[in-house]
Amino acid sequence: MLSVCHLYPDLLNLYGDRGNVIAFLQRCRWRDIPVQLIELNAGESIDFNRVDFLFLGGGSDREQNLMAADLEKHKESLREAIEDGLVVLSICGGYQLLGQYYRTPRGEEIPGLGILDHYTVAGEKRLIGNVAIEMNLDGQSIKATGFENHGGQTYLGSVEPLGKVLAGYGNNGKDGTEGARYKNVFCSYLHGPLLPKNHQFTDYLIKLALQRRGIDKQLTPLDDSFEKSANNTMLNRLLK
Amino acid sequence: MRLCLSAAVIGGKISSMISKLAGGRGSSLPGVVARRIYPHTLRRLSAQGNRGIIMVTGTNGKTTTNNMIAGILQAGGHRVIYNQEGANLITGVTACFIRFSTLTGRVNFDYASLEVDEASFPKVVKEVRPEIVVVTNFFRDQLDRYGELDKTVQVVKQALKELKDVTLVLNADDPLVAQLGQATGHNAVYYGLAKQEGMERTVAQTRESRFCPRCGEELQYNYYHYSQLGDYSCTRCGFKRPRPDVEGTGVSTTIDGLRARVCCAGDCYTIAVQTAGFYNLYNALAAFAVGRLLNIELATIQSGLERYKPAIGRMERFRYRGKPVFLNLVKNPTGYNEGLATLLSLPGSKDVFLALNDNAADGRDISWLWDVDFEILTRHLEDLQSFTCSGTRAEEMALRLKYAGVPTGKITVIPSLENAITAALQGEARTAYLFATYTALWPSQNILCRLAEKEEHHAVGMPSVS
Ligand SMILES: [Zn+2]
Repeated sequence: MLSVCHLYPDLLNLYGDRGNVIAFLQRCRWRDIPVQLIELNAGESIDFNRVDFLFLGGGSDREQNLMAADLEKHKESLREAIEDGLVVLSICGGYQLLGQYYRTPRGEEIPGLGILDHYTVAGEKRLIGNVAIEMNLDGQSIKATGFENHGGQTYLGSVEPLGKVLAGYGNNGKDGTEGARYKNVFCSYLHGPLLPKNHQFTDYLIKLALQRRGIDKQLTPLDDSFEKSANNTMLNRLLK
Repeated sequence: MRLCLSAAVIGGKISSMISKLAGGRGSSLPGVVARRIYPHTLRRLSAQGNRGIIMVTGTNGKTTTNNMIAGILQAGGHRVIYNQEGANLITGVTACFIRFSTLTGRVNFDYASLEVDEASFPKVVKEVRPEIVVVTNFFRDQLDRYGELDKTVQVVKQALKELKDVTLVLNADDPLVAQLGQATGHNAVYYGLAKQEGMERTVAQTRESRFCPRCGEELQYNYYHYSQLGDYSCTRCGFKRPRPDVEGTGVSTTIDGLRARVCCAGDCYTIAVQTAGFYNLYNALAAFAVGRLLNIELATIQSGLERYKPAIGRMERFRYRGKPVFLNLVKNPTGYNEGLATLLSLPGSKDVFLALNDNAADGRDISWLWDVDFEILTRHLEDLQSFTCSGTRAEEMALRLKYAGVPTGKITVIPSLENAITAALQGEARTAYLFATYTALWPSQNILCRLAEKEEHHAVGMPSVS
């Protein structure tokens, strides 16, 4: 049984990001991999070692502050689980929060959880639009698409980027990187949501989660024609 | 000065003619042109009313509410000006007055009922003085992201504060709207819906605002209607749903429309509206409240509501070879959820058409589609024969349905609207139900007008007063 944990779905339910959780669950169910969903809301307790896939999204400023305050209480147990190989997907605000700090336009530094080595600086204009990136999963190169909308610009320290920008802005609109990866933690600015039409990435996350539980086998192939055609529609538009 | 106004009106009217000849809708262009010729055009035209001005603002339901109000006023024998096409920016409002103006800038009306976009509201009230302002609801629209909802509420609140001698008509069930009564200090009339039995709702639905607009504490709910609408209270500061002055109960939905009891000042009446969709009852209650405020007789309000015809894409009805066809505009998760609930409330089998565009006016980011509770469809699959996905993001629409659990064998992708609509109409189900985002709506309506007959509503019996 794989346990999927959606962090603060009550607070961070506004940007279509629950599609990521839906995609992970459905692609397990379609393969008869037993899976359960845990929704963790503020003030509740959880043992991250019993979680197989953790999803953390973003919200409006107010909601993000509430989530940051609550997550601070779970920081040590989360860090431990991540070092142990917990599979995490973190989008936008959640991505920023896992890093070192966020520097506001006034130069004030709001500390993040400090689990990954990246930091974010408020930018002058929001980076908004469709994105295509190229990422490498287990030696296989795939092209993923999504939609970004972020005011913060993120710079990576000792973590790898998730992918290389083919079209759009990515982390900061300057260095051509998008997202971050540390161990089994994957961060990205791509809404859309990211997982449903980038099914190879979803399957990669499922594989990693199974491997962490000592199950190392090929996933049953699925009919991915809907996913491919949704992704290709955007790739054709962006990469012409 | 009259010369300037006249020049502006003539300029506006000419631009409207030219634009229509060129095939455009020209709904706000005359306003743009006239305002450029004479910036006080709107101020001068709108000040000529014999009685007063009513404005309707909020996220969803503006067009329907405004058209219902206009219907009630017309039933009462008043001359009414209203922007029925939903051109609700300041240019559209200006254009609406120009259309009814003589070439010399004279316009003769008793009431103007104007739907006004939330963001344009402060600008419009600087030029037009409303006597009544209706606020329908505040939801996250596909274009407002990242806390912009809070900003929208602030903008409307501030503009209301600056008005004098205005009465507010507020949705008691929406905490974001209801707070405006006390926050602005104006006279307020509240409308709301009592608890409804047997409503199908899932917890997955996005609630836009769960926090007290006064103190920030999480709100407690006795019940929800949809989104954040319901019976709420704050344990910290005591803010709670105001007692509605106009309250709807006992709602029933049929293929011909909605019926409900409305209680007001100790008496209860029956109203009937010839449009489906539970959310339309809120619009009817708001219009009812406005009618009462303006001392319009009850029987007149009732017949005004019955005469209401849905505007384009607001549960607009057509007939294709005897089969009922519905066209519904969708622009945000809340509206889509209500549309799905309406689809499922209709009897018999359905063919469903879903057009998703990602042009600027639709919102380029279509992530909001994943906040819509399409999962609810899977509980009624036996009645849902086919799903035809269309528009610039047809493939994404199909993907959303697949992940909601709709069998892929029932889903077809046809990017061309014309071919897709034809396919949906030719389905074997008893009704066809069409959803379209903003920029897909007009072309879809055009196609429907060619392929099917636009249905004029028939009267469904006399309103009963009890
Ligand atoms: Zn409060």
